[in-house]
Amino acid sequence: MHKARLTVVVSQGQSRSPDKRQLETDIAERSAQIPGVQVLVVPHLYDLARDGETYQQLRGIDGDLVVCAWLFDRATHWVLDRHGVRGQVGQVHLSELSDADDEEDAEVAAAAAETAERVVDSQPRPARHIYCLDLRVRTQADEFIGEITRIAECAAAQGWLAGDASLAAVTGFSMPTNTTYVGRTTAAVPEAVSVEPTLLGTLGVTTIAEHPTRRWYPVIDFSRCTNCMECIDFCLFGVYGIDNVETILVEQPDNCRKGCPACSRVCPQNAIIFPQHKTPAIAGAPMDTGGFKIDLSKLFGAPDEGADAIEVAARERDEQLLLAGRQAVGIPTELSARLAKQAEQPRDDLDKLIDQLDSLEL
Amino acid sequence: MSADRVFMMGNYEASFPGDRLYAKNHMWAMATGEQRYRFGLSAYAVRLLQDVYFLDLTIQPGMQVSSKHEIGSIESKKAESSLYTPMAGVVTDVNDALINDPTAINLDKYGAGWMFELQADGTQLLTPEAYIEHLVAAWEVAQRTIKGQVNA
Repeated sequence: MHKARLTVVVSQGQSRSPDKRQLETDIAERSAQIPGVQVLVVPHLYDLARDGETYQQLRGIDGDLVVCAWLFDRATHWVLDRHGVRGQVGQVHLSELSDADDEEDAEVAAAAAETAERVVDSQPRPARHIYCLDLRVRTQADEFIGEITRIAECAAAQGWLAGDASLAAVTGFSMPTNTTYVGRTTAAVPEAVSVEPTLLGTLGVTTIAEHPTRRWYPVIDFSRCTNCMECIDFCLFGVYGIDNVETILVEQPDNCRKGCPACSRVCPQNAIIFPQHKTPAIAGAPMDTGGFKIDLSKLFGAPDEGADAIEVAARERDEQLLLAGRQAVGIPTELSARLAKQAEQPRDDLDKLIDQLDSLEL
Repeated sequence: MSADRVFMMGNYEASFPGDRLYAKNHMWAMATGEQRYRFGLSAYAVRLLQDVYFLDLTIQPGMQVSSKHEIGSIESKKAESSLYTPMAGVVTDVNDALINDPTAINLDKYGAGWMFELQADGTQLLTPEAYIEHLVAAWEVAQRTIKGQVNA
């Protein structure tokens, strides 16, 4: 068996929808036909235990990963990170909204990000790339396979340059079979592979069977987190802790109250993701750069809904405290004090925004 | 056991066992003890949903819930929806087996397809006859809602 250049992980959804299962199967089987690719089919990543078979296997893989899951890309990346499967965010050329604003948004976000040190700046992740694909953005396997093929080519090229080309990679380059053409059709696949199956080194599909029960817990996006400790102060259920270098971590994920996203709302950087929450911004939606931007919609006439994120969070937390048979606490005084302090300096933020707009040379 | 009541949803005969009560949010309620009820989805709800692929319930035994408290979500071939409590009470049981495999909602909605139990005051629950009266109006609204969303 050839060494895999790239591992494609297909994380099965919780839904029993036949269409969804079919998409998972199609992606797994067709990815396995790409030279140098091995495929792992695993249960829903979010529900799996850290010490289970799946995460043990995944932690043992050093190379690049493509991870397909029924979650936002960001959510998948940081769920993996939480379970010790770490790397750099691989750029995926397959998004729901491919509008021209994306790059501008990224620039504005990057400009704003310079102002605060993020946890990943001081604790860099391994150099290998993890490419997360959200299975909800397409209904057919074709474009996913096209993207996985593109990523596999990048991985093969990088490996070859590094001088450790496997037989599969060399074969792929010296005898191109056109299976790597992004726009190719399904029909071309079996034909291309049947030419020289042994040389192409098909690594096949491995399925890991675990039977997790549903879980509910936050994951932290450490590329946004500034280690401000607002979440550990806010959560009264002992979910958060700090590690031996005094960095925030989700220490006791299963202490979290099912359905409650309150800590996510109090995070000043929108770094806390609840992958299964129905509000996209909380579930890790890619378009959300809210943590870096000032919402001016109230200035432009949006109705005042009478509750800001902190009030909602305090109410949600109170609900959970009562459900757990404890006393409601409302909005704690320290938090109100910090918020009042923030409210005193709206001009600073506005100035920054204006500067950013100027720097875009509009 | 008293006879089933039937309500016609177009050509579909939705039937409602006479041995239990019903809530306006289209759940059936079977008494399992003193002020204690087991809840599941009525034939009306299941017909609207059709094949159920996913169920999640965010409640646990011991939780105190208010009326219309959001308790989970459901996804089917045709629709998705959040789920809410039919009345205030204390959760006494949750059908975990159903969360792992929700197909019983389609195969045995009045039996193995039960979702949760509440310790609650059931006086506002409806008899099968009263529930069917409620359905006459609800069905009109449902048809408009479905058409509105399909045409949108």
